[in-house]
Amino acid sequence: MNLVIDPPKESTISISLNDRARVLNGVREISQTDLAAIVEACDQEGFYPEAVLKKLGQAGAFSAHLDVDGEIDYGLAIQCMSEVSRVCGSTGFMVWCQDACGLYIESSGNSLLMNDLLASHGSGQTLGGTGLSNPMKALTGIETMYLKAEKVDGGYLVNGTLPWVSNLGQKHYFGTICNVVDSTTKEPMPGHELMFMLHCDAPGVELKECPSFSGMEGTGTYAISVKNLLIAEDKIIAKSVGVLLKKIKSAFILLQTGMGLGVTQGAIDSMWKVEKQLGHVNQYLEDRPDELQQELDDLTENIMELSKTPYDDSKEYFIRVLDARLHTSELALRSAQSALMHQGARGYLMCSEVQRRVRESHFVAIVTPAIKHLRWELASQKAELSPA
Amino acid sequence: MEVIPKGQSKQDWLTYICKACGLLYKEEEGDPDSGIAPGTRFEDIPDDWSCPLCGVSKEDFELYDASDAVKISGGACIKSALVVNKAKGWTALKNSDVVIIGAGKAGWQAAQALRGANKDISISIVTACAGDLYEKPMISVAVAKQIDAKSLIKETGVEAAARLGVNFYANTHAIGLSPQTNQLRTTRGTFKFGNLIIAQGSKPICMPNVSLKDCWHVNHVESYTKLRAALQDTNSKIAIIGAGLIGCELANDLAMAGHDIELIDLSSLPLGRLLPDLASKKLLQAWGGLPIKFHGGVKVDDIASENTMKKINLSSGDILQVDHIVMAIGLKTEPDLVKNAKLDWNNGLAVNPKTLQSSAPNIYGLGDCISIDGEASRYIEPILRQADVIAKQICGQKDFYYENRALPIRVKTSSLPIRIEGKIHDAGNWDNEKGAKDPATGKIIFNQWHNNQVQASIQLG
Repeated sequence: MNLVIDPPKESTISISLNDRARVLNGVREISQTDLAAIVEACDQEGFYPEAVLKKLGQAGAFSAHLDVDGEIDYGLAIQCMSEVSRVCGSTGFMVWCQDACGLYIESSGNSLLMNDLLASHGSGQTLGGTGLSNPMKALTGIETMYLKAEKVDGGYLVNGTLPWVSNLGQKHYFGTICNVVDSTTKEPMPGHELMFMLHCDAPGVELKECPSFSGMEGTGTYAISVKNLLIAEDKIIAKSVGVLLKKIKSAFILLQTGMGLGVTQGAIDSMWKVEKQLGHVNQYLEDRPDELQQELDDLTENIMELSKTPYDDSKEYFIRVLDARLHTSELALRSAQSALMHQGARGYLMCSEVQRRVRESHFVAIVTPAIKHLRWELASQKAELSPA
Repeated sequence: MEVIPKGQSKQDWLTYICKACGLLYKEEEGDPDSGIAPGTRFEDIPDDWSCPLCGVSKEDFELYDASDAVKISGGACIKSALVVNKAKGWTALKNSDVVIIGAGKAGWQAAQALRGANKDISISIVTACAGDLYEKPMISVAVAKQIDAKSLIKETGVEAAARLGVNFYANTHAIGLSPQTNQLRTTRGTFKFGNLIIAQGSKPICMPNVSLKDCWHVNHVESYTKLRAALQDTNSKIAIIGAGLIGCELANDLAMAGHDIELIDLSSLPLGRLLPDLASKKLLQAWGGLPIKFHGGVKVDDIASENTMKKINLSSGDILQVDHIVMAIGLKTEPDLVKNAKLDWNNGLAVNPKTLQSSAPNIYGLGDCISIDGEASRYIEPILRQADVIAKQICGQKDFYYENRALPIRVKTSSLPIRIEGKIHDAGNWDNEKGAKDPATGKIIFNQWHNNQVQASIQLG
C-alpha cells in the first residue's frame, strides 16, 4: 500500500488577462530567486530587503489595488502578497504595509498628496508604511491615542511617540492618525481626529531602534518620536477620519489575507519536501499537506470572490471579510505547526525555513487585527440591538 | 545604591506600566540602562526618557496596580458565562462528533434526542444566547397570568448541558462554515464536526427605516425579559406593530394586565392575512372591554424618540405617542451562514423533507431556520419529531423519516381563543364568510373548501 501522498503538479496560474499573469509571474520569479537568496539574512541579521522591494514594485506588486491604470484588482494584489509571503513572511508583511499606505494616499482625494506620492509609491520607487495599529485600537476603545495634534496657523502641530511602525527608513513615510486637542485645555476633542502622512525625514521626527522581535526582523520597524512636527495641507489624508476608515476598513483587512495565504502555502511546500523520505511516518499526523492545500484553495477562492467588491460597505460583507481574515490566521498557525511536525528534527534547526515560518504564522495571528480582536469585533457585529 | 526619599518606606514604591508594550517601571529598581537610578520616583524621571522596550514617551505610562489586575481577570471569568468553557479546556481546534448551532427549543431538543440515541457521542452546542430553557408559548400569556419573566426559565443552559453531557458554548456566535473541511468558525474558536445540526432559529423582521434600538421584540426570552423589566409594574402605553399571531397574542396579554395598546397593521383587520373578515371582526368585538386600539390599513411612516417617549407617524396622518414599541411584523431566517457555505437555500436552509439533511449530507437542520419545499414553519410541534429523526439518522437508523404535515394552530388570544386546522391556501377565499354554529359546542366555525373538501377550518371561542 502506498502511504506516501503524491504532491500536486506545479500549479499553473489560471488568469485570462495577460497583464495580470505577467505581474504575478514576475512577482513569483523575484520572490523565488532574489528574495529566497536573502531571506535568511532578513530573519537572522535583520537585513532590510530594499532592493527586492523596489524590484517587486517595478513588477507591479504594489499597484494592482490602486486606480493607477483605470482598474483596481484586489485579487491580484493579494496574490502578489501571497507569492512574496510564501518565501518570506517579513517581506510579505512589508508588501501589505506598502499596499495599505497606497490605499491611504489614493483614498485621501487630496490632489497635493496624490501628485506627490501616488505614482512613485505604486511603482515602489518610494516606500512607506502604516501606523494605524494604535489609532484603530484607540478608536474602538482598547487603547489611548499616542499622537496628538494642535491646530495652528498653516496646519497642525503633532507630538507624541508611536511604537513599532514597519517598512520605514530615513526617506520613507507612513499614514497615521492622531487626536486633535483643544487649544486651550490641551485635552483631546472626542470625534476630532486627523489622518496624515508622516515623513520620517521631516524636522522633529526621530526613528528609534526597536528591541529584537521573535520574527519579522528586517522589516524596517521603528518607534517614531515626534516633536512639534508641522503637518500642512499637502500631507493630510483625512480630516473626517471616521468616514474614510469606514470606507476602507474592509479593503484594509482583506488585503492582509495575502500574508496568511502565502505563509500557509510556504508551510505546505515544506511538507511536500519531506514526503518522500518521511511520508511513511508522517501519515500519522493530522493536517496533512493535501488536506491543508484543499482548505487553502477553498479559502483562496472565497477571498478572490470577496476581492471583487472591496468597497462594499454592508455589514454582511464586513463580517465575511473578518471571517476570511480569521480563517487565514488560524490556517497559517495550523499549517506552520504541522510543517514543523512533518519535518521533525531538520525543521528544528534554527536556520530551517519551517522554524522561521512558525514565527511568521504567529505574526499573522497577532498583527492588528489579531485573532482575539477579530473575534471581539465579530461578536459586537453580531450582537442583537435592543432599547435597553 | 538605593535612594529612599525622606518620609517614605519601601512599601510606598510604585509601579508604572507602559500602555503600548506593557513594560513595568518599578521605582524601586529604576532603569539603570537609561541612567535612571534605582529608587527614582516616576515623577522625577526626565521628560525626555522613553520606554526602554518600545520607545514611547513618559506620558504614555500609567500607574499600575497589581491587585487591580487580579481583580479584573477574576471578575471577567464569573461575569462572562465562560465557566463551563474553562472547565472543559480550551484548545485551538475543538473536535466533536456533533455540533449544534443554537440553544433554543430546536437545539436542546436535538441534543436530548441524540443523547437518548447514543450515550457516548460527543455533542457541542454553540449559541449566541445564554441558552436557558423555557417554553416559548408562555411568553404570549405570561403577563396576564402574572408570571415573572425570570420564572419562565425552567433550567439554565449550564444545567441542561451538565444533565445531557454536552460541551456548551454560550454567548458564542457562529461565523463561518466550511462543509468541505467540516469546520465551523465561531467567536470562541473553530470546531471540527462529524455532523452539524443547524438550529439557529429565526429573527424578528424590522422595518427598513427603523432600528431595533428603538423597538422591542419578543422572539426569545432574553429580549422578553428586558421588555418586562422596562414595563415594570406601571401602566404603559405600548404600540405593537404587526397584528399577526404574535402581535395579537401579545396585545391581548398586555391589555389584560392593564397596559394601553395601540395595535397597528397594514391589513384592515387583526389576523387579516389569516382569518375571514368576520372572524377578525369577532376578535375585535371580543377585545371591546380591553384597552386595545386597532389601527388597520395603515403603514408606519417613521418613528422618532422624544425624551423617554416614542412618536409614531402613521400613513393615515395619525400620530401616536407611546412609551414602548414592540415590533411583531414577522420572522425571517438569517441567510448568511448557510448561503456563504454554499448550502442550498430556499426561504430558509433547504432540507430533504424526509431526512432533514441539507445539500451537504452531514449537515442537518430543524426548527424555524429550515424550509421544506420552500416553506418555513415557526411552530413548536414539528421540532420534537424533527429532532427525533435527525438523532436517528445520525446514529445510523437511516430508514426513520420525517413526515411533514399540517398542524393545528391555537391563537392564544384569551378574549377569544382561535383554533385553526388544516392548511389555509388563500386567506381571502372563504366560502362560508358568515360562519356556522357548531350545534354540539355552540362555537362558530368557518370552513375553507378546495376540490370539494374542507382544507382548513377555523373555530372561534
